[in-house]
Amino acid sequence: MNHVVAVGDMKTGCREDMIVTHALGSCLGLMVYDPAAQVGGLLHAMLPLSKINLQKAFENPYMFVDTGVPELFRQLYDLGGQKSRMVIKAAGCGQPLGNSEMFKIGERNHTILKKLLWKNNILLEAEDVGGVASRTVYFDISTGQVIISSKGVKREL
Amino acid sequence: MNQKELNLILDDVKSFPSLPAAALKLLTLLKDEKSSNTQIEQLLRYEPGLTANILKLTNSAFFGLPKQIGSIRQAILMIGWKRLIQIVLTSCVSAIIDKPVHGYDLSSGDLWRHSIAVSVASEILVKELNLSVSEEVFTAALLHDVGKMVLGRYVKNDIAAIDREELRDMPFEQVERSIFGIDHAEIGANILGRWSFPPSMVTVVRWHHDPDGAPKTNHLIDVVHVADVLCLMSGIGVGREGLQYRPSQTACERIGLTEAHLEKVASQTLQTANQLAESLQADS
Repeated sequence: MNHVVAVGDMKTGCREDMIVTHALGSCLGLMVYDPAAQVGGLLHAMLPLSKINLQKAFENPYMFVDTGVPELFRQLYDLGGQKSRMVIKAAGCGQPLGNSEMFKIGERNHTILKKLLWKNNILLEAEDVGGVASRTVYFDISTGQVIISSKGVKREL
Repeated sequence: MNQKELNLILDDVKSFPSLPAAALKLLTLLKDEKSSNTQIEQLLRYEPGLTANILKLTNSAFFGLPKQIGSIRQAILMIGWKRLIQIVLTSCVSAIIDKPVHGYDLSSGDLWRHSIAVSVASEILVKELNLSVSEEVFTAALLHDVGKMVLGRYVKNDIAAIDREELRDMPFEQVERSIFGIDHAEIGANILGRWSFPPSMVTVVRWHHDPDGAPKTNHLIDVVHVADVLCLMSGIGVGREGLQYRPSQTACERIGLTEAHLEKVASQTLQTANQLAESLQADS
């Protein structure tokens, strides 16, 4: 089955599923996969920290990195995934030209992700982050393969 | 840049679809502070299609009104006539900007969703920053990228030249300018001018990527400029050029924007924009 993940959303899948998310700008795309259980999930989080809007975080934890990432892991554990086997990849976290601190939402998303993973002794397997590119992610749950597409060019992550 | 291509682009601007006559009449009413509810009611009396649209939209989740609205008079009382005209214009413009835009790799509905999100984000910014900016901000934001509808075809044809390595760090509207001698902002401003939009709105569209280049800077342009970058970053209607635009630091300073404002506005925009998009879709 094909799942499409919108901005501020998360989907999990198993076996033959394909999970897709379009147009990652400064948002974080996080792909987590357990090859043994053949389950995986894709989070498309918009902003780094939920404290900016706690009401929204309560309604939709997937809008924020600090609430979305733990929720993604929790759901994968429920589906039989185990932390020790998880393969984690990140994409997105871009920023516009000009190096303006204010508009570095992508960089802040990336920093919070790294902090969360580090605190939980989890390593990133691969990442394709930063720059001005808009990225689309295809996450094949049958193999764990992640394909990133940008400007019509596809490459494996 | 080649003059022949520029002339073709300008010809396309001239043959760009016009707005429905009723929308133009409503626009003149919006411009005139003396317009009355009765005038608007009278105009809409002869537009049964628009009236039906207005009632559907007024009763949609976007406005969240406590009770069902059954007439234009009630609608004006509940949401105000300025808001009502904006909504009518939005529904008229939707039919024009919901098409796919090749070159920028925007699928059907992408530019439309982006435009609505920028309108919503602009209004939230105005509120969050407590700015005194006219209600025009909504409709100006809605139309900021209309020039892409014309330029898309040319971007597609010249994509090899546009994709050159040495242009990667140049803001995309400047890339357009270097290749075509015009950019989508100026084309959009031309279209609004032909539609007889007020100069203040034409100016917003013209300078939305370069608010400091405007003959006279103003908050209306600054707000739409920031809202546009924010929506692109959030991935709402972001095209092939991605985030290849440069936000203006001075525009941010003029409106007193901080990191916290920016993220808060981003967190509020998505849901409201989705609600408005759904309401508009429901009537098409």
